[in-house]
Amino acid sequence: MQARKKLPNKSFQILKQTFDIPARACYNMVMIATEKLKILTESAKYDVSCSSSGSARKNEGGIGNGYIAGCCHSFTPDGRCISLLKILLSNDCIFRCKYCMSRADADTPRATATPEEICELTIDFYKRNYIEGLFLSSAVVRSPDFAMEQLLLTVKKLRTEYNFHGYIHLKGIPRADPLLVHEAALYADRMSYNIELPTEASLQLLAPQKSKQSLLAPMRQLQRERRIFREEKRKGHFLPAGQTTQLIVGASPEPDGQILRLTQSLYRTAELKRVYFSSYVPVVHDALLPDTPAGSLREHRLYQADWLLRFYGFSAEELIEEDGNLSPDFDPKCAWALSHMQFFPVEVNRAPLEVLLRVPGIGARSAYKIMEARRYTKLTFEDLKKMRVVLKRARHFITANGKFYGSEGEAKIRGLLAAGERAAQATQLSLFSDPETARSALSGEL
Amino acid sequence: MIYFYDGTKDAFLTAFLIAYPDEDAVLVSHAAQLSIGQRSVFVCADRERARRAEARLKELDKDCLHELDLLLRSGQEDRDAVAFGYFKLIAARGCPVRKMLAEDAVAAAEECIRRVEFEIHRFHGFLRFMECESGALYAPFSPDNDICDLLVPHFRTRLCEFPFVIHDVGRKKAAVFDGKHVFTAPLERAELALSSDEEAWQDLWKKYYKSVNIPSRERLKQMRGYMPVRYWKFIPEKREGS
Repeated sequence: MQARKKLPNKSFQILKQTFDIPARACYNMVMIATEKLKILTESAKYDVSCSSSGSARKNEGGIGNGYIAGCCHSFTPDGRCISLLKILLSNDCIFRCKYCMSRADADTPRATATPEEICELTIDFYKRNYIEGLFLSSAVVRSPDFAMEQLLLTVKKLRTEYNFHGYIHLKGIPRADPLLVHEAALYADRMSYNIELPTEASLQLLAPQKSKQSLLAPMRQLQRERRIFREEKRKGHFLPAGQTTQLIVGASPEPDGQILRLTQSLYRTAELKRVYFSSYVPVVHDALLPDTPAGSLREHRLYQADWLLRFYGFSAEELIEEDGNLSPDFDPKCAWALSHMQFFPVEVNRAPLEVLLRVPGIGARSAYKIMEARRYTKLTFEDLKKMRVVLKRARHFITANGKFYGSEGEAKIRGLLAAGERAAQATQLSLFSDPETARSALSGEL
Repeated sequence: MIYFYDGTKDAFLTAFLIAYPDEDAVLVSHAAQLSIGQRSVFVCADRERARRAEARLKELDKDCLHELDLLLRSGQEDRDAVAFGYFKLIAARGCPVRKMLAEDAVAAAEECIRRVEFEIHRFHGFLRFMECESGALYAPFSPDNDICDLLVPHFRTRLCEFPFVIHDVGRKKAAVFDGKHVFTAPLERAELALSSDEEAWQDLWKKYYKSVNIPSRERLKQMRGYMPVRYWKFIPEKREGS
């Protein structure tokens, strides 16, 4: 019955009006060569950082602005998002980190882009809404100072000559001059130094030219300078979105516990915004490196634990099992709850927020909904279902208005939940590309 | 009784006033099958009554009219029923009800609004502009909900130097920013001349998309979950043949 209006064919007129208005003058066209783009992208893609959040930079007459929540623009067939244009300025490296495909002694095609090529590419991709900004990194070309200078030159050009106010994530080069690092932070929204390996010993072995000190010193410098910048309320920007880092999982023998404790201390003392985990993919063959990829299950569990550290009030010590690792069978919150059954079940109508957040299956969103809704009525299981609180796991750990719909006994719950996990993994076979996990998902054996 | 109305805000508010006392009222803004013996009326927008309803609802809950706007933009079949149920509850309780999440009407309205808002957020990322000869930008898309004008503020702040057109191909309408003003207009087909290097930039983007993928970690199901196939038609890197 919708009143169908007849649409006048005004289309041409409107577009003509709009498109006849000249946009600003074009830049000198410098389009990067396809092959170069391919090389510089392929060497950058193993960095897992993807976020574009945390910066509210304003468009001060030019192009672009920050988007505080971050924004994904596309997704690749490996399930990862494209938010920033992730690219190296050059992959011509003097360092010899064993795990890296751009290391000095690798036989790989080399390419170096000019700052103009990167700027043009960023602007033209940004304008078409392909990307949220630039993620610029570089190999150590000639010397750490030279590489850092080139990075700085590029972001400075992008900000000042191209008037770009979108998101810029800049990788720091270890051992570069602190003054260059400081200046870069005035233009970037976020900077990151990749710790990659969780111990000094592993670094020595696999990345001989890096050391814990060469990575932590600039991170501390930026932390200190950012704090001063904020306290003094200086004009302009200094890393509004802070710092992040990345750890490779499975290239060296450290257990989950060590990785998680390091992560926790990075959040608490170094004030990092995110720690990313990258499960090791063997792109390089070396006697010192494992030949098999680390399963994505391990990476997944670490990310689950990372969320619990950041948003759910857990500490690393609570989550690590006796053998120093995370449980592969249960998600870390579930594993924690199963070994602390004395705290459960909790009554959803009375439990405080921090307790609700510790119930397996209840996330931040559900906990918030419960807190709001219970002010008006006594919540029952039906109400929880209506509110789309997922009860598959939670029902074993809660009562709603005094009623309990879970199973009694830890052993029984363990069995039920483990079976659920296995079924979930079996249906998500495509998630696990490595043969080992795929086999276990098929056979149901973990 | 079935109350037909044209889907606009004023007509909804008018119909709401008329239908509120009727216990078996059903509000519908699209074609619907009548069952035998069911009676129906067509409610036209009455500006005066609509303003009156608006003022009263504002007193009860100052944010609910924004929610009404979002609800009426939903592409969901039952949006009229959801909106009617939600506003009936506001009127009955005489206060904001959005946090009473255990109420069916509130849960349904919240879910419906969340979908509209989520699609807006998604298209902040998935919308793709093409550059025209004049330098203006043109983005066709086909969203589930009627959101093309709600995307304008976001792109207007970040691309303030470029005139642009966001074209909802399915609803045959467009939101236009001419460099100064924003307006919406019906638009069936856009005839445009693309800039000479538009195709080259698109190819470069497709190349980038291909290079940044890690083929050994294929997770197609995850990709489709995040970027639904129905949106691919207007996304150059996902369009068939690319």
